[in-house]
Amino acid sequence: MFACLFAPDFSVQAALRLEPEDRREVLKQSPIAILEGPASLPRVMAGNEPARLAGIEMDMTRLQVETCGRVWLRKRSQANEDAAQMALLDCATSFSPRVESTAPGTVILDLAGTEKLFGRAQALAQKIAMRAAEFGFDLNVAIAGNPDTAFYAARGFTGITIVPAGEEAERLASLPVDVLSTSPEMRNTLEILDSWGIRNFRALALLPPVPVVERLGQEGLRLQKIARGETKRPLAPAEASADFIESFEFEEPVETLESLTFILNRLLQQVCVRLASRSLATNELRLKLELEARQLHSGENKEFYQRAWKLPLPIQDPKVLFRLVYLDLEGNTQPAPIRKILVQAMAVKPRYVQSGLFNPASPEAEQLEITLARIRGVVGNADAYGTPCVGSPRVLDTHKPDSFAVQPFSGLDEESDSSLPPTPVISLRIFRPAPETNVELAGEKPCSITLHKKLLRVLAASGPWRSSGNWWDATASWTRDEWDVALKTTEGVGFYRIYLDRIKNQWFVEGGFD
Amino acid sequence: MSALTEICGSELASSGKTTVMISLLAQATQKHFCALVDANDSFDPSSALAAGVNFCRLLWVRCGKNQSKLKPMEQAFKTTDMLLQSGGFGLLVVDLSSLPERLVRKVPLTTWFRFSRVVEKQRAALVFLSQKPHATSCAGLVLHLKTNPAVWSGNLLTQFRLEAEIVRSREKKPTQSAKPGFSVPSQWV
Repeated sequence: MFACLFAPDFSVQAALRLEPEDRREVLKQSPIAILEGPASLPRVMAGNEPARLAGIEMDMTRLQVETCGRVWLRKRSQANEDAAQMALLDCATSFSPRVESTAPGTVILDLAGTEKLFGRAQALAQKIAMRAAEFGFDLNVAIAGNPDTAFYAARGFTGITIVPAGEEAERLASLPVDVLSTSPEMRNTLEILDSWGIRNFRALALLPPVPVVERLGQEGLRLQKIARGETKRPLAPAEASADFIESFEFEEPVETLESLTFILNRLLQQVCVRLASRSLATNELRLKLELEARQLHSGENKEFYQRAWKLPLPIQDPKVLFRLVYLDLEGNTQPAPIRKILVQAMAVKPRYVQSGLFNPASPEAEQLEITLARIRGVVGNADAYGTPCVGSPRVLDTHKPDSFAVQPFSGLDEESDSSLPPTPVISLRIFRPAPETNVELAGEKPCSITLHKKLLRVLAASGPWRSSGNWWDATASWTRDEWDVALKTTEGVGFYRIYLDRIKNQWFVEGGFD
Repeated sequence: MSALTEICGSELASSGKTTVMISLLAQATQKHFCALVDANDSFDPSSALAAGVNFCRLLWVRCGKNQSKLKPMEQAFKTTDMLLQSGGFGLLVVDLSSLPERLVRKVPLTTWFRFSRVVEKQRAALVFLSQKPHATSCAGLVLHLKTNPAVWSGNLLTQFRLEAEIVRSREKKPTQSAKPGFSVPSQWV
């Protein structure tokens, strides 16, 4: 058995798919026309049923369309249609692994072996239609014994059509021959059939085959076999795409975050529905905003805003992803209105973790990501040297003092080989950046130090402890003499670490032992 | 657990509060996820590693590193608020001790009260490091730390002798201030 998923007025559905759900329902009832062609003279290339009822026809100009009353006009977007086709394929893939991308807006899937999983044909067709609705499609679904019968039944009949085996010719009989017009080359053949008075599949099926071949060639015979439901062909399986990209081009560039978030939410929902249909999740999300270049101020050449989020664990929840993106956009004002938005998710397998009875309670992973994003919004992403401000510390494998990195905090209980058993040791409180200081020496030992604009006497000193590194690199080389000193302060004795930077020949206070 | 604790000590003279904080994190990260809100970015990962802190379970938030509209102290308090609301951390340490005392003194009592009430409902400990106690009755425990003369072995600083005074304890009110002392060796001993 084969099922065909056909999206009528595919260009219109692709344009509507990314609209917010309530608005989409309203728009479906309104006349919509899709325009294509040069900006000076765009012409109608597709429209929905209310548009046809309003008198809108193909190749009408914008001016002609506007005379037909209030019509919602959209520019054709190939990117939107490609993404919609991928979404349709993903929808079909959740029912069968063998899927053919037959034409834009049409997908055929092989149902062999799926009966036990999804039930009988009628129940399966209903499940497909409901699933497609989650993807934002309003589909015709047909199930038949061969792919071509399913294809033409889906194109010709609205809603769900089940064609039982052996009744193909009977069920297709009432279809008009215009349904066969899937390419411009077939127009001549259909005109010839029309001139013979052949109006439907029944009439075509009843013609004697040999005269048909004599007059129309093998193409005529093929069409007749289709009308009789006798064709047999293997599916050409579509390769599952690893790209989960959704984009939206605004008719008018948007300036406010509120206008952007409606579409952003919809894009992320679509990406997550597609991921879920393939039992996948994402651990990296990318966002690209195209800005209106004409409105950029002089000196600004940033026409794009790009951002990527690497997540510590795979996520499938659109609300979490939306919150992450929203918090970032809220903190970064764009220099110009936004023309186009693109969201891309890197697909990975979802992570299934068995919680341990004795594992420590950890922050909920998805909630933690949002919390960390909010904290980054408060404290910033990174310091002046590019080191992140939020994460887990890691000591770098170098002898250079105060060398550390900050890694993303995952909230997962990973085994750490480096951590030692807890032992209290004197800890250093680092001054970042290390303040310069003046040191008076008695012989080679420091005897007084200027700290917080006060001259403090050195009670005891331990040093010098000399260290150096990166001598082979002129820009990164360092060499220093360290001293641990006890200073007499107004509040008691303070123990500090000072060092002489031997390259700059300047004393610094690294921190205090506290 | 489930209380606000203040650990106080001088900033100019060595008091041992950072040593106690890092020891606390080393112990707590053995069993819990912990967060350190570092108001002035003065945490030393090398000292923490030597003390045995499990970095995989530590979230370090470095405040005051960007040109934000908020001051480091405001950043620290906002971050603490978010982490408390988020939950899941067994220990939250907020290090305010490098901030000027006059700024921390201006924190309204309602803020301390709110933190105290929020942490009461969680299985988490909230520890503030500062130069002087500020939370007054909102704190379940207030410790004041100071060091006695350190031990030098020849030319080498080898040991701190810390003295902790329990200034306030909600659990058991001390009839007179207890001052337990303990020694902490240096990393290189």
